[in-house]
Amino acid sequence: MALLELRDLEVAFRTREGIVRAVNDVSLSLDRGRTLGLVGESGSGKTVTALTILGLTRSEQTEIAGEVLLDGVDLVTLPESELRDLRGRRVGMVFQDPLSSLHPMYRIGWQIAEAVRAHERVSKKAARARAVELIRGVGIPSPEARVDAYPHELSGGMRQRVMIAMALALDPDVLIADEPTSALDVTVQAQILELLARLQSETGMALLVVSHDLGVIAEHADEVVVMYAGRVVEQGTRDEVIGAAIHPYTLGLLESIPHVDGPRMAQLTPIPGSPPSAVDLPPGCAFHPRCTYARPSCAELVPALLRVGPDHRVACPVLAPTSPLTPDKPRR
Amino acid sequence: MRRLAWSALLIVLVIFLTFLVFYELPSADPAQLRAGRLATPALVAEIREKFGLDRPFYEQFWIYMKSVVTEFDLGYSYYKNVPVREEIFARLPASISVAVGAFVLWLAIALPVGILTALRPRSRTDRAVTGMTLFFLSAPTYWLGLVMLFLFARDIGRFPLVGGAGTYVPLSENPKAWFESLILPWIVLAFGFAGLYARMIGENLREVMALDYVRTARAKGLSERRVVVRHGLRAALTPVVTLAALDLGFLLGGTILVETVFNIPGVGRYAVEAIQNADLPAIQGTVLFGAIFIIFAVLVADILYAVLDPRVRY
Amino acid sequence: MRVPGQRGAVLALIAIVGVALLVASSGTGAQHKRGGTLILLSAGDVDYVDPGQAYYSFSFQVLKPVHRALYTIPADVLTAVPDVAAGAPKVSGDGKTITVKIRRGIRFSPPVNREVVAADVKYAIERAFSVSLANSYAVAYFGVIAGSPATPPKTPKPISGIKTPDKYTIVFKLKEPSGAFVDALVMPITAPVPKEYAAKYDDKTTTEYGFHQVATGPYMLANDSSGNVKGVGYTPGKLIKLVRNPNWSAKTDFRPAYLDGVEVREGFTDSSVASRTILNGGADQNADFGPPPAIIKQVTTTPSLRDNMYGWPLGTTYVGLNTQKAPFDNLNVRRAATFALDRNAMRLAYGGPITGPIATHFIGPDFAGKGFEAGGGLEFNPFPSPNFSGSVAKAKAELKKAGFANGVYTGPAVTAVVSNPPITVNQGKVLAASLAKIGMKVNLKAVTTDAMYTKFCGTPKNQPELCPSVGWLPDFHDPVTLLYVTFSGKFIPESGNVNWPQLNDPKINAAMEKAKRIKNAQARYTAWGKIDRMITLTAGAIPLQWTNTLNLVSDRVVVAKMKDVQGQLDLAFTSLK
Repeated sequence: MALLELRDLEVAFRTREGIVRAVNDVSLSLDRGRTLGLVGESGSGKTVTALTILGLTRSEQTEIAGEVLLDGVDLVTLPESELRDLRGRRVGMVFQDPLSSLHPMYRIGWQIAEAVRAHERVSKKAARARAVELIRGVGIPSPEARVDAYPHELSGGMRQRVMIAMALALDPDVLIADEPTSALDVTVQAQILELLARLQSETGMALLVVSHDLGVIAEHADEVVVMYAGRVVEQGTRDEVIGAAIHPYTLGLLESIPHVDGPRMAQLTPIPGSPPSAVDLPPGCAFHPRCTYARPSCAELVPALLRVGPDHRVACPVLAPTSPLTPDKPRR
Repeated sequence: MRRLAWSALLIVLVIFLTFLVFYELPSADPAQLRAGRLATPALVAEIREKFGLDRPFYEQFWIYMKSVVTEFDLGYSYYKNVPVREEIFARLPASISVAVGAFVLWLAIALPVGILTALRPRSRTDRAVTGMTLFFLSAPTYWLGLVMLFLFARDIGRFPLVGGAGTYVPLSENPKAWFESLILPWIVLAFGFAGLYARMIGENLREVMALDYVRTARAKGLSERRVVVRHGLRAALTPVVTLAALDLGFLLGGTILVETVFNIPGVGRYAVEAIQNADLPAIQGTVLFGAIFIIFAVLVADILYAVLDPRVRY
Repeated sequence: MRVPGQRGAVLALIAIVGVALLVASSGTGAQHKRGGTLILLSAGDVDYVDPGQAYYSFSFQVLKPVHRALYTIPADVLTAVPDVAAGAPKVSGDGKTITVKIRRGIRFSPPVNREVVAADVKYAIERAFSVSLANSYAVAYFGVIAGSPATPPKTPKPISGIKTPDKYTIVFKLKEPSGAFVDALVMPITAPVPKEYAAKYDDKTTTEYGFHQVATGPYMLANDSSGNVKGVGYTPGKLIKLVRNPNWSAKTDFRPAYLDGVEVREGFTDSSVASRTILNGGADQNADFGPPPAIIKQVTTTPSLRDNMYGWPLGTTYVGLNTQKAPFDNLNVRRAATFALDRNAMRLAYGGPITGPIATHFIGPDFAGKGFEAGGGLEFNPFPSPNFSGSVAKAKAELKKAGFANGVYTGPAVTAVVSNPPITVNQGKVLAASLAKIGMKVNLKAVTTDAMYTKFCGTPKNQPELCPSVGWLPDFHDPVTLLYVTFSGKFIPESGNVNWPQLNDPKINAAMEKAKRIKNAQARYTAWGKIDRMITLTAGAIPLQWTNTLNLVSDRVVVAKMKDVQGQLDLAFTSLK
């Protein structure tokens, strides 16, 4: 049994404009010591998926269906109080913009200590000492001094290290990193990713990295899930998805990866068009208006996610039409 | 330091404008008022000289400013011949009682109601607060005061519960009577503000609760109560606190209508009397105090903001 | 005397019949009980607590039982009687020397304690002439004393015309005979002030004696051992507290002084709140404000409340027409305006019949039987109209005489400055509507009462054509105080003018100067009655009402025999049930 498994997860928001189906039929699994990359443009549902794992999208306006299994326990149906106990302790989270994700009016040491004290009965002093050690652990120099800094007094990279320290305060089994580097400079991005890799190797935790940048994922993930307009369009091992991508969207993402060893702007090949609005999705394959391979039938049916390799699944009837393999399950 | 200098300049400007208004615009002539109806022109002239009213405007202004700056001497009331400073100091406790009491009451109401409306938007409470705010803010204070008196005052009310107009006693004399005499004025002042603040707190909190750091707090596994209070309110209240400091300053500067309708011997009523009697030094004094309170409140608000929000530095 | 704010004109003319013998205290019988503290409610403050400065009917009411003048007009009697004086004043044959004996045994309240002597009265009058006190009526009524200063000195200076040949005698030498001077001896500036104690307070730029005053009456402003009153017996704008004067002896006074004390609670600016407080028994009487129309209506229509209100005819209100300025410099235009005005509507705007009868001339009904009938009597009505509603036909006839064809005014619009309380603003509107009927457009300008007096109606160069919110109440019982300063051409200063029509008729001026000097009261009143008629016929002012002052009392006030000259409770004669 996988450590974390999502089965047919669906998340819908009731808004004034109508129901927004942000996540549809997402299934994935993640084991200890492994890294899973969740890729997609903004609005693809990847962040909603990540947040829903910890129930952070719960509200009166949200409908969540499917299962989120952590060691076999379904978090979707878990009462709020029990879910709260898991947050931070079993599953830690790192967010995209460390400046807005850290409370601007509290010292960072206090914020880390608060995470500790939310789950463990320790003295303030002990919690603070833990905070210092955690800050040291994420590679921030002179942690004794930095522990009393306010977030705005630190650089972006330092802030993200603080976020990571806070997420790791209770030694969680899973760390979900939602766009951990996209708000940072390129050079700092690499440092943060290296830090995450190092910490993962030290603790053996499972790492779920959410990013719009397939380049980030390509280097670090063991498995890759590509999402578009709330659906998984391609998933598999890194080699399958990065090395033998099939879906036109994945191919487009791969081409838009900037290469460090060349004139960057020149080689960027962005996917033409822009992601569709979540309220008003195109019929059939949501990607068809931007797809160079699209045929008329693409606008009719939502393509099924079909198995094309050992772990490789693709939802494109054009480029993977003749697959002998059967779909995992019927599509709605 | 620069702020302090600006504040001082502002106060001087306020005094100057008051001078200008009461010297240049048609109101009653203080010398004639002082002299009375049958007075001979000789007497009026003598009085004018006695109070320096015959001197040019700028000279009177200079004399006044000098004594204010050097000794905080606000001069003598034309009408009562008593030091204006003493008169104002004697009335300050009443004004402070009204203002601070109303302040405490309105925050005590606004805080829980604001949190409730933020966490349950468009609920019945939310709508009730909106209605109440509209009522208490749009109703004229004076009228509202009268309604309160005719409803609840012990002497003339339909439901005699608490002290009515003119029952104010200093806190030091009789705390119970002090409290009872001020309940209605507090309500009249506080409810409008409370509604306004409840909405403000509610809206701020609603906005803050959608921010990333609140999500972070939840992701840490904090209890919802702690998320709301320590993370949400901490940020949502910061602008409110500074605004409240400003409003308190305005109230301290004189709650004229409430003091008038409830007959509370405070600075606000003194200002009204001073204007009625064309008692220039008294008018100046009350305006000066009001200005000082407000400017001081602005300073305090700025300092509070800096204290509460570490990102702000002066 | 100045008319207080919203109250309308208040005046009392009480005829003097020589000086009546002192009537001993009538405080016998079961109806009066001793003890208790009476509570008065006021909107504003008294003007001053110093008897040498006070000049406001509210202040007079409060200070009357505190500071005994040479003579006084007590409740019930309604004629002047000796108070500090031991008997009637002796007037010399030429009318220029007046001798008054002082009663023995009157003592000042603590901390002075000593017996009152004639020199205390002398000093009291002298100090009133100084700028330190700035008394407004001293020159007008006491300026006739020989040696009184024409230009007010900064601090009190002796006046040569006041002599004290012995401890108990005071002699006034006058520049000319004055019938009114004797009557003026009831004014509070004749109340004794101890020089050795008061001089240190009077010698300041503005006197502080009021805050350290000592009393001669049955009551005094509560003070501390040093004599300080401020914050003890008098907190400006808040409270006046009268307590019994321990040095007062009933043997020296005719006042029964039933009460233990009096409290004046100030700041009740909302008259309906204050009125209801009185009707509900939370206080005993209104002091400086009148009950609002809604309360008047309630009281008059509720039988159980009838005893809680009383009215007292007290003054004349009128519309001043500026006779020095077109179009009212023309007698026929003035007469036209007088005929046109709907005086019944003016009274309705003021509060209806309960606020007093419609006036057809100036000297009011309280003078019936005193000799004024010679002027045409109370019924004298030179500008009649049905139901006082105005006669457009007669007004047009006057305008034709003034040269306006068809009897319709075709000149420029006129301005009326009214004081800004709703009642007087509404009266201004009635006036404008009446004059519109004869083609005269009136621009209304509403300003505060003080501004109306000091900036417009009292300053001839700024005076508008119409001053509809004026009125006058005399200070003591002689018509000179009602008609002289208000209509004599001799009294038109550049500022502080109270001759609102700016009437300057040589015949009237001469008649007044003559009437002032008549010593025989009956003859003097007859003369003033004729002057009243002459003034009315100039149409320089349109008389509106002999107004009633309406007062509320609580149930516990003993209602009988309580009116003093201003229609207020005489506190020294009032008791509580």
